[in-house]
Amino acid sequence: MTPRPPVRARTSGFAQGLTGRLLAWIGSVIRTLSKGKIESAIGVTVGAVWVLSAPVFLVCSLADLLDGGSDFLPLLLTGAAVEIAGLLVVRLSSFPSTLPISRLFASVVCGALAALIAVTAAHLATGVAHNLDVALVEAAATITGTNASTINPELLSLGMLLFRALGQWLAAAAIIIVLVRVLPHLGVGGLDADGGVATRSARRLAPRSGSTMARLVTLYVALTGLLGFAFLLAGMPFIDSIVHALTTISSGGFSSRLGSIGSFDSAPIEWVAIFGMFVAGTSLPLIFRAMRRGDLHRFVRSVEFRVYAGLIATVTFALLAWSDGLPSAVSIRHAIFHAVSSISTTGHMAGDFNGISFGGEALLLVLMVVGGMSASVAGGFKVMRFMVLGRYIGRELRRSVHPTVVEKIHLGRSSIGETALARIIGELFLASMFLVPTVLVLSADGLDIEGAFTFAISIMSNVGVGFGEFGPLKHLGALGAVGHLAAALLMVIGRISITPVLVALGGIGEPAQIAIRRWRTARREVVIR
Amino acid sequence: MRRIAVTPVRVAGAALIVVAAAMAISAVVALLDGGGGAEGLFWSAVITVSVGTGLFFGSKVSPLADSALAFASVGWSWLAVSLAGTLPFLLTGVIPWVRFDDALFESISGFTCSGSTILSDFGSVSQGLLFFRSMTQWLGGMGLVVLAVAILPALGIGGLELIASEAPGPTADRLSLRVRDTARRLWLLYGGATCIVALVLFSVGMSVFDAVTHAFTTVSTGGYSPHAESIAHFDSFPIELVLIVGMLYSGASFSLHWHALTQGIGAYRRVSEIRWYFCLIAGAFGMLLWVNHGEIEWFQNLRESLFYAVSLGSSTGFGNSDYILWMPAAHVTLLVLMLVGGMSGSTAGGMKVLRLQVIFRYSFRELLRARHPNAVIPIRMGSTTIEEQVAAKVVGFVLLYLGLIVAGGIALSGLGVDPVTAFSGSVSAIGNVGPALGEAGPTNNYLVFPRAGRVVLMALMALGRLEVFPAMLMLVASTRGIAQLRRRRRLTHSTFSH
Repeated sequence: MTPRPPVRARTSGFAQGLTGRLLAWIGSVIRTLSKGKIESAIGVTVGAVWVLSAPVFLVCSLADLLDGGSDFLPLLLTGAAVEIAGLLVVRLSSFPSTLPISRLFASVVCGALAALIAVTAAHLATGVAHNLDVALVEAAATITGTNASTINPELLSLGMLLFRALGQWLAAAAIIIVLVRVLPHLGVGGLDADGGVATRSARRLAPRSGSTMARLVTLYVALTGLLGFAFLLAGMPFIDSIVHALTTISSGGFSSRLGSIGSFDSAPIEWVAIFGMFVAGTSLPLIFRAMRRGDLHRFVRSVEFRVYAGLIATVTFALLAWSDGLPSAVSIRHAIFHAVSSISTTGHMAGDFNGISFGGEALLLVLMVVGGMSASVAGGFKVMRFMVLGRYIGRELRRSVHPTVVEKIHLGRSSIGETALARIIGELFLASMFLVPTVLVLSADGLDIEGAFTFAISIMSNVGVGFGEFGPLKHLGALGAVGHLAAALLMVIGRISITPVLVALGGIGEPAQIAIRRWRTARREVVIR
Repeated sequence: MRRIAVTPVRVAGAALIVVAAAMAISAVVALLDGGGGAEGLFWSAVITVSVGTGLFFGSKVSPLADSALAFASVGWSWLAVSLAGTLPFLLTGVIPWVRFDDALFESISGFTCSGSTILSDFGSVSQGLLFFRSMTQWLGGMGLVVLAVAILPALGIGGLELIASEAPGPTADRLSLRVRDTARRLWLLYGGATCIVALVLFSVGMSVFDAVTHAFTTVSTGGYSPHAESIAHFDSFPIELVLIVGMLYSGASFSLHWHALTQGIGAYRRVSEIRWYFCLIAGAFGMLLWVNHGEIEWFQNLRESLFYAVSLGSSTGFGNSDYILWMPAAHVTLLVLMLVGGMSGSTAGGMKVLRLQVIFRYSFRELLRARHPNAVIPIRMGSTTIEEQVAAKVVGFVLLYLGLIVAGGIALSGLGVDPVTAFSGSVSAIGNVGPALGEAGPTNNYLVFPRAGRVVLMALMALGRLEVFPAMLMLVASTRGIAQLRRRRRLTHSTFSH
């Protein structure tokens, strides 16, 4: 067998170089800025997030100025405040010489919290949200890419509309950067809690993680542009197509209309949205590889992609089979739309969502939990992890007949290590343990039981659409302050997965833990004596 | 007479004989009561006993014994028993032959100790049949195979695997050196507990019939009641208290009870699972009290909350009011109770507290490992350590269990049941609880599910009672056994011909 000749990237060399240089420049700016006295990765992260998010405020306030909206000044001032705070924090802190894993986890979590605070400030300053809890939950929905809101988007100013859409888009871009830039530093103990299963493909895209990042970000930007253009061609107004392109490719789901995509009532627009959501749920490295070599067969060869597409097809079929009446072109389109919107955790709406049969509802919920492919920007638990869990169950079944058998779990051509397996399982159980109390809180705070369960599952997967008596997008509005806080927490945990959050929390409580352990060992020794 | 050497056939025969005895007793009850149905019960006993003896004496134990064979034995005998259990309903004419699936539902619900019923008019059902219904739960509670091992010396098979594959929980506790003695002790304790509960129930004002049937279904955590309104029929706080104590006792491990009887009460303190079990029920009770506060009058709230926390926490499913009228948060609490169920080694269903404990420890170990990637951390439960292999088995079980709940929920809602009823019905069926949420509450019966949906529920109940693995491996093990048998026959043929 002859070795394959190395294939060079042919396309978009210029764009990639530009993105790469931009990213490197940003990195160097942060590095030059952070020469303070306090060695703290958290400080650098928080500062960097604030410094980098301030331009978004500026862009949106300018857009609002041009449009003649009322949010020009509040956005500008908040942006300035965030920028100053960011510069201050960065200036005071510096990169630490050593970085224990728990600190890295903590800085990722704090970075997300910093973004949350900035977006909350914008919501409060512009008066879009009157209470702190509403502002928090809106901000959480923005940075996690969840389509849950208490606000009528048609009443928003252009600046705020763009701000929210850009927020979802940038947060998803940040996920890509974390995927490529942070996870490899964690070694096997990855942030993705599955020992690198999700990121393995991403990491090997280029020899340097910096250039991998540049490639993926370029691809992401290009896809956004393509989608925006497609929306425009399909007959969507200019501003709407920008907003929808940003929120579709990032699997966010915010819309400029109250009725989401469905309010345009146009088949071409819905097909474009379906395509965009499908892409959002697909692994970005896979798309990159397939497009670079022009080798569409790569998609077919990927086991995960086959399952992903198969799930969509199966659920579409079931939705049609369980609905009343014969399938028509419209009902087929809407069934595909619902399935893709759920599995890619976008949460766009079209067609009659309340008319979905009970069985279809259950299946859509399952798709929401499954989520997109690994290394995609979609939320959810990820297709690959569920495939691994399926293999695990199969192995345990075989083991109970042959108790001494030793078996390795394979997925496609790669085998999954035992550590990775344990991580995936731990993550699933921890997430469900967190889900149950939240359902309890949501149901105590005004939702019916069906609404509480479906909404909790949906926002944990960053979809945002719930079932039950309230209608798909009304759940957040029906909740009180406690429910809003619980929902915000659940969204953030769903986005950055529960292990880092708990580990970061554990890092805070470490001194107390050590004290307790010492006390217990001391007590045990006394008992033994 | 040449006997075939297939263990599952022999075990199934033994189990059928036991069921036939139960039918005969019920026939006597029907005769004493005079409410009819004695004839049908008598004939079903005759049919069952003849099939049972045929199977039992026509077979012998296979020379080889392994876990697969144990799985197959338990699985097939449960199938046989469930089929036999339909006969009394059909022959007494309570359920017509065209609704055979309903009879099977009632029978499976009985033997698996679920307590979901499709009977709507209890007045027209004879007392003998109601007695038989309770008795199926009592027999299914501790396990028919365990009983067969205990009382039939001629069965000639042993192996803890056989008991382990029927007893709820990941491991079976050996109470004595001989498996038959272990089985005997378990049944002795079980029978003793039933007698005590029956006596106490009688002394607080139940009739003899009610006391005995309720004792049967309390100790087995089944939940069938001869009255349509379940425990609400009596509307008596003392009776509810007795039942609460009985259900709490039966939801805890019977081998632990045996240790406590022989070694003193300190045995309870050595096991951490029982602490979790009580904490879970107490926590749910507190939660229910809090949620229902202001909705129901305080004493009624205390009474109903305590009763339901114990009834669903031990997967019994008795009802003393309609909790469907409660707040949604109370429903979520009840659903968690249904999901977890009682302790391992008890007669209760559900996922078992022990497994929840293992899952907790397992997940938190992963958290620790995320921080210290090279740490070696054992999974501790109180003072004991769980082996990795057992932990992996528990994890696999829980994943499969949750997967089956989701699959059942999807299937039921696909058949047109609303999602709350469908998913809670799925949880309730696989946990062998009985009542569910939504339309299938404690005051309703399972006719709210469509006919095909009841088939799904039947499968879930059987899978739940046999703890999923034996039921799923039944066919695998059987095909393997048949292949082995054929190979051996071919071998003997070739030796003869040489």
